[in-house]
Amino acid sequence: MATVIRRLEENDSVESFDCGDGPLNSYLREHAWNNQQKSSIGVTYVAVEEAAPRTVIGYFTVASASLAKDALPRKAVRGLPGYDLPMILLARLAVDRRFAGRGLGHALLSEALKIAVRVSEQVGCRCVIVDAYSTAVEWYQRYGFIAIEGGRGSSHRMYLDIRTIKAAQQSRQSGQV
Amino acid sequence: MPTRVQTRTIKRPASPLRKPKFQADLAPVEDNTVRSLKQELQLGSNSDFLSEAIALFQWAVSERKQGHKIVSETAAGEKRVLVLPRLERVAPGAALPQVKIDWTEAELEHLARLARSAPASPTEALVRAMRG
Repeated sequence: MATVIRRLEENDSVESFDCGDGPLNSYLREHAWNNQQKSSIGVTYVAVEEAAPRTVIGYFTVASASLAKDALPRKAVRGLPGYDLPMILLARLAVDRRFAGRGLGHALLSEALKIAVRVSEQVGCRCVIVDAYSTAVEWYQRYGFIAIEGGRGSSHRMYLDIRTIKAAQQSRQSGQV
Repeated sequence: MPTRVQTRTIKRPASPLRKPKFQADLAPVEDNTVRSLKQELQLGSNSDFLSEAIALFQWAVSERKQGHKIVSETAAGEKRVLVLPRLERVAPGAALPQVKIDWTEAELEHLARLARSAPASPTEALVRAMRG
């Protein structure tokens, strides 16, 4: 069955979505559309099956962010360009548990990273940041995300350099793996 | 006052002097779709079908490149916007809203180290993710 990933639309069916995590479920059901359309603080992309093109079976939310160069510790900025650091925040990524194990998470992350590359070509982006649950850290590491040390929350902040993503794209295009 | 409707004639691409061959493997469902579309559109050959399809696709890509939405409207005024993931890739500025991220001092130090260092080689999973 073909799966399509596209932007969330107002009349998408999200009520039955269940990834097994309360906050991720309620974000999609209660906040994703408003955050996208009204508040403009995150754009949500959803996965739907062609046979049921309104029923969301997976999603991710992305936003852009930047880190002011002044925010970085003075001793740490040596060697960095003297500008703010633009980045993409992969704020949420979830798959309905009834559709788990079918590579949907891979497809969603793949789309999110392709968006990051497009954004980097249009407005600049140095890296992709994700706040991962402990249970998902290993999964993100498989894609090359590096855990950023020193966090204080329950989630783990991770980093993937846009140059690494672009190198992956180029090696795919030139047939190297 | 009647609503003003703009219509555009889609130009078919000019046929080149040397004609490259195009071959495609179609699933039975797709094959049936092609046959039925050819019949509906009264297209005699696969070449004519492909030529029309290319013209339509070319137009859709050009519209999305300019940031235009592609909308169908019923007689009752109900509108539906065409969203094709492939087409969205050519739309200008995947404009993402800006958010603020809170960082600890230690995170900032590590982030700066990561940003300063040479990029890591892509993993196999990442290469697969960037396919297509």
